Amino acid sequence: MEETRQVQGTWDLSTFKFRIEGEGINNMLKEMKEAKLLGNRCHQCGTVYLPANFYCRKCHIAIHEPAEISDHGEVMSYTVGYADVRGNPLDEPRVSLMVKLDGSDTWIMGAGEEMKPEDVHIGMRVKIKWAEHRVGNLQDMESFIPE
Amino acid sequence: MRNVAIIGIGYTPVFVSKRRDVCIPEMISEAVENAFQNSGLTPADIEAVIFGNMQTFEGVNLPHLWAADYIASLGKPVMRVATGGTTGMSAFHAAYYHIASGLHDVVMVVTYEKHSEGDAQVGLMGIITPEIMAMLAAGIDVTGQKGMGAIGGGSAGGISYQASSYLHHSGAGIEHIDAVAAMERRNAAKNPYAHLKDPEATAEKIAQTPLISWPIRFGHVCPTTDGATVCILASEEKAAKLADKAAWVWAVANCASDATTGNLIEGIITDPGEQRPATIAAKQAYERAGIEDPRKEIDYVEIYNGFAHQTLMFLERIGMCEVGEAHKLLEKGELEMSGRLPVNASGGVVSTNAIGTSALNRVTECALQIMGQAGEHQVEKEVHKALAHGWGGLMQYVTITILADKPKKL
Ligand SMILES: [Zn+2]
Repeated sequence: MEETRQVQGTWDLSTFKFRIEGEGINNMLKEMKEAKLLGNRCHQCGTVYLPANFYCRKCHIAIHEPAEISDHGEVMSYTVGYADVRGNPLDEPRVSLMVKLDGSDTWIMGAGEEMKPEDVHIGMRVKIKWAEHRVGNLQDMESFIPE
Repeated sequence: MRNVAIIGIGYTPVFVSKRRDVCIPEMISEAVENAFQNSGLTPADIEAVIFGNMQTFEGVNLPHLWAADYIASLGKPVMRVATGGTTGMSAFHAAYYHIASGLHDVVMVVTYEKHSEGDAQVGLMGIITPEIMAMLAAGIDVTGQKGMGAIGGGSAGGISYQASSYLHHSGAGIEHIDAVAAMERRNAAKNPYAHLKDPEATAEKIAQTPLISWPIRFGHVCPTTDGATVCILASEEKAAKLADKAAWVWAVANCASDATTGNLIEGIITDPGEQRPATIAAKQAYERAGIEDPRKEIDYVEIYNGFAHQTLMFLERIGMCEVGEAHKLLEKGELEMSGRLPVNASGGVVSTNAIGTSALNRVTECALQIMGQAGEHQVEKEVHKALAHGWGGLMQYVTITILADKPKKL
C-alpha cells in the first residue's frame, strides 16, 4: 500500500494579533503590579467580569464600572495533570484549579501549589500567590495556594 | 415547514487511524458511493450538497470545492459548514432547513475527517486563538513561561475540569467513567464502522490505563480517526417515491453559551460541567417534537462523548434522567444494548472520532436503529423515537436532533 504524504508543520501563535478585550486585560495587568485585581461591573445586571469586559455578555450593553476583586476565592473545579499536552508523563503530578475569586462572576484558572493532589476538592478556599517582583503581566499571579 | 426524512446513509468501509491507501477526496467518494448503493439513488437525484469537516485539521483549504467531482456536486448548490465538534450535525441541520423550507427536495450531507493528514492537536489549539481569556480558561500557554496562563493542557486538560465537576455534582465516581468506556468499547466491537473495538473490555481493564489529567485516563479518550459519512435527506413527497424505509426528522435545535465562563446564560454553576446549552437545546427540541416526557417517549440516545464521562453527564443535562442518576442507570445495566435506555450502541465518539463525521454519525446511528438496520449493534427494544446529541465549539455548543419512525403530523 502506498503511503500518503504528510507535511509536518507548526502554527506560530505569535503571528496572531490579540486585541479583543485588550483594554480590560491592560487595566488588569497595570493593577497587578500592585498585587490588586480590577474587573468591571455591569450597571444593569450586576455581573462582574474579570478580566474586565467592556461589554456585558448578558445585557449586550457597554459597561464602565470598575470593580475591585479579591485575590481569595473558591475552587469550582480542578484537575491533576499526569502528562503534558503531547502525552509525555510529568515527573510530578500538577494540580490545576478553576477558581471563582470573591467579587467576580467569572472564573480563572491557575496552578495549585502547596497542596497535595488528594487534598484538593471543589469548594476549597484558596488565594493567589503573587510574584515577588511584579512587572504587570499574567505571570505576576504565580499560583493559587490554600487560604 | 415540510416533513424531512433520511433516505440514505453511507460510510467509508472502515474507520481507522490512518487510511494510507487513499487521499482525502478518494476517501470521501467511498462514503458517497456507499450511500448511493444503499439507497438506490444516483447523483442525478441530488439537488444540493452540504459539506462538513473540521476547519484547519488537515491543513487544506476549501475541501468542499476541490472535492466537487468526488461528491457529485458539479453544477449544484454547495454549502460548507464548520462548527467544530458539532460540524456533522450542523451540516445535517442545514440540509434539513433546505428541504423543510421548500427550497430543495433531495439534499446530500457529506462529512469527513482524515486526521492522519494533519495534526489535530495543533487544530485543537487553533480554536483558542481569538480571545485571550479563552486562552486562560482553556489553559493554553501563550508566553511559554510559568504562570497562571500556562495551565491545563489542550482538550483533555480542559475537559478534565468538566469531568471533575460532573463527578462532584452527580456523586458518580471515576469507576463509573471506566465502566461506561468499557461498555462503549464492547458496543463498538459489534459496529463494523467503529475504530477502537474491544469485545472483552471491562472497567478494570480501562482502570489500568494511565491517568492523563484526573479524572480522565487514556481509556476514556476518543481516538483520532480517518473516515467519511454521508446522509441523504428528502422531502416527504420525494421520500415516498424514492425510499422503502426512512427515519423522520421531528425536531432540530442548537444552543451556544459563552466560551470563557462556560455558562453565563442563566448563570447556575459557572463551570464547563453545567452545559446549559445542552439543557436549553434539548428542551426546545422536545417542544418542537411535541415530546412531553422524554424519559418515556425517547427509546434510544446517541450522545457525543469525546470523553467517556460525557455519556453520563449529557444524559442528565438533556433530561433523560435526574442529575446523579445516570451512573445508577449504568450500574443497573439500563444503558446497555439490551437495557431500558440503550445509549451509544455504535460505540460512541469515544470509540470512533473522525471529527467532521462524529456529530452526523450520532444522527445516522439513530436512523439505523429506527429503521432496524444497525445489524449486530441493533438494540433489543423497538426504537420509535431517538435523540442524537452533538457537542463541541470550545466546550459550549450543543446540537440536538430528534428522529422518529413515522412522519410528524403537521
Ligand atoms: Zn449586564
